[in-house]
Amino acid sequence: MPVLGWLDAYIVSIVDGVAFGLLYFTLAVGLSLVFGMMDVLNLAHGTLYLGGAYVAYLLADGGWTGLAAGLGAGVVLGLAGGALLAALTQPLAHRGHLDQALLTLGISIIGADLFLFAARGETLPAEPPAGLRDSVEVAGHAYPAYRLVFIGIAAALALAVYLVFERSSLGALVRATVADRDMVRVLGVDTRKVLYGVFAAGAVLAVVGGVLGAPILGPGPGVDGHVLVMSLVVVVVGGLGSVRGALLGALLVGQVDTLGRAVAPEYAAFLIFGGMFAVLAVRPRGLVSLARTAS
Amino acid sequence: MSQMDRRQALRLFAGLGAAAAVPSLAACGGSSLGGGDAKPVGSVKIGLLAPQTGIYKVVGLDMIRGFELYLKLNGNKLGGREVELFKADEGDTADSGKTGAEKLIKQDKVLALTGVVSSATIGAIKELVETSQIPLVGSNASPTTLQGVKYIWRTSYVNDEPGKALGKYLADNIDGKVFCLAANYQAGIDEIEGLKATFLPAGGVMANEPLYTPFPTLKNFGPHLNQIKSSDAKAVFCFYGGGMAVQFVKEYKQFQVGLPLYAPGFLTEGAVLKGQGDAATGIFTSMNYAADLDNAANRKFASEYQKQHEGEVPTTYAMASYDAAAVLDKAVLLAGEDLTPQTLNAALGRVGQIDSPRGTWQFNQNRTPQQKWYLREVKMDGAVLANTLVSELTTLG
Repeated sequence: MPVLGWLDAYIVSIVDGVAFGLLYFTLAVGLSLVFGMMDVLNLAHGTLYLGGAYVAYLLADGGWTGLAAGLGAGVVLGLAGGALLAALTQPLAHRGHLDQALLTLGISIIGADLFLFAARGETLPAEPPAGLRDSVEVAGHAYPAYRLVFIGIAAALALAVYLVFERSSLGALVRATVADRDMVRVLGVDTRKVLYGVFAAGAVLAVVGGVLGAPILGPGPGVDGHVLVMSLVVVVVGGLGSVRGALLGALLVGQVDTLGRAVAPEYAAFLIFGGMFAVLAVRPRGLVSLARTAS
Repeated sequence: MSQMDRRQALRLFAGLGAAAAVPSLAACGGSSLGGGDAKPVGSVKIGLLAPQTGIYKVVGLDMIRGFELYLKLNGNKLGGREVELFKADEGDTADSGKTGAEKLIKQDKVLALTGVVSSATIGAIKELVETSQIPLVGSNASPTTLQGVKYIWRTSYVNDEPGKALGKYLADNIDGKVFCLAANYQAGIDEIEGLKATFLPAGGVMANEPLYTPFPTLKNFGPHLNQIKSSDAKAVFCFYGGGMAVQFVKEYKQFQVGLPLYAPGFLTEGAVLKGQGDAATGIFTSMNYAADLDNAANRKFASEYQKQHEGEVPTTYAMASYDAAAVLDKAVLLAGEDLTPQTLNAALGRVGQIDSPRGTWQFNQNRTPQQKWYLREVKMDGAVLANTLVSELTTLG
């Protein structure tokens, strides 16, 4: 049974790939929608994750109340951060990507320096609730229990985002604004409210991703840049302005990042960008972007 | 144009010579200007280059504390002269480090430099130090590639020595193969090569071609930990520092690799150990220092250090910087009245044995320490986790 043997050897990497894929999804979905809709390239998106992870570290008390408090604070921080970023980038909307990128990059550098100052350059320990610190058996292999729970929560979150976006009238409005902002405005909808709403929701997701992800990818120097790059890759692979694309891209990138590295460790450094290159060669607009305009 | 006769020309050259000589004499503070008033000794200016911002800030802070502790315990004097300590920020990069060094040498006109965390910085300032002939008594960075220098001394160790120190021990004590992995950059390669240099001749067998993981982008060790588990290794040797060390150690525990873990000391040194917490328990590391070493110099150093810093255990970084001050103390005294950067550098070659918290050591030909190496284990020491001494490994350098 060579297939079963292969599966047995790599099952943990596959599960881990799902965990990281969902982690990247919480970031990429906001990044993708904001870019698809407002043409704003928000390079401070990784800073939101870092903020969430730092909040999780500050409020973690080894129990569930700490996690709940972290999530509550994360939502507030996300709303505030999203609104602030939207308000700051809005005046630059007509000035092109470079100015926006410069502004948000500046914000991300300030954020990273504030974090360095607060954490003295250390990688801080953000522990999961006490009952989830051990490992459980996954098909006969040890796997961190918290990561399984994370997969569950993040999958539910992804499903909720998907349903709201694809199945509700609110989601239809957002999709319409992505497709043709001017037309929606002509129909009498204040698109600025939609834009602010999506910006804030994307920011909340990123911060909540940070709170939940802190025990997996904790608050430390450079983490903001790492998750930003990974979610940019997800957006490029998945296609702009689509929740389905972000989810598909995130799961794919997660697998390439973990399973790919387990199967071909000698190419570890090139796999992610090699994979992105391959997708772009076949589908220059990303995996789902075409499907969206066709539907 | 007027004709210049020989006397005028001589006068001109003499003037130029004096003009060139004056600033260089002024730069060395304590030198006596040939007779005149018999001022015994002046003060000395020392430049400490260490990161005060950026990702190496924690290490930089340890180094500043170590140096300042020596000064405090010795009446703020080195070699009997009052010390003026100038600090410059090394920052994260070679560029910021070079800017700091230039400020100390050209603006503050220091007699000698100390500090330097990053290998990139020491590479970038090598020419500056050698051409301006200002001795650098470095207390951390020491890549294997830094050789044949005249003015650069280090009180730490060469980058491949922690690996070298462990090689024979692992070959003798591990009944089976050893899995090796490291971050893919110069320091990681140095450590693995160092290990191989002593491990293979002693009959050790590696379970794999050394695995070099992406640096510094890798944030998830899961796939590689599974490689370890599916290999037939009986122990693991790894090299990681900073945030990667925290991540690696936590995941090593979470994925229940279950094999004894050996590493160069920085895997669990100082601030990272706090980030790792219980997950670090039982890890073995090689280092030139352990805070619980039992000798007179260390009892004084460790207890004074803890007294000043709320019970914080001193690291090898603090210890090496404390020793840099001790080395300068001896050398300034040896250089005597005619204290210039050049005479100080010559005196550095004559300091002999240093009575250090790590045990006695001395400079070798390479201007790095010949010293003992220790095996340490992460254990609870009272209420805190600490790198506790297990045994002596070997002498290197």
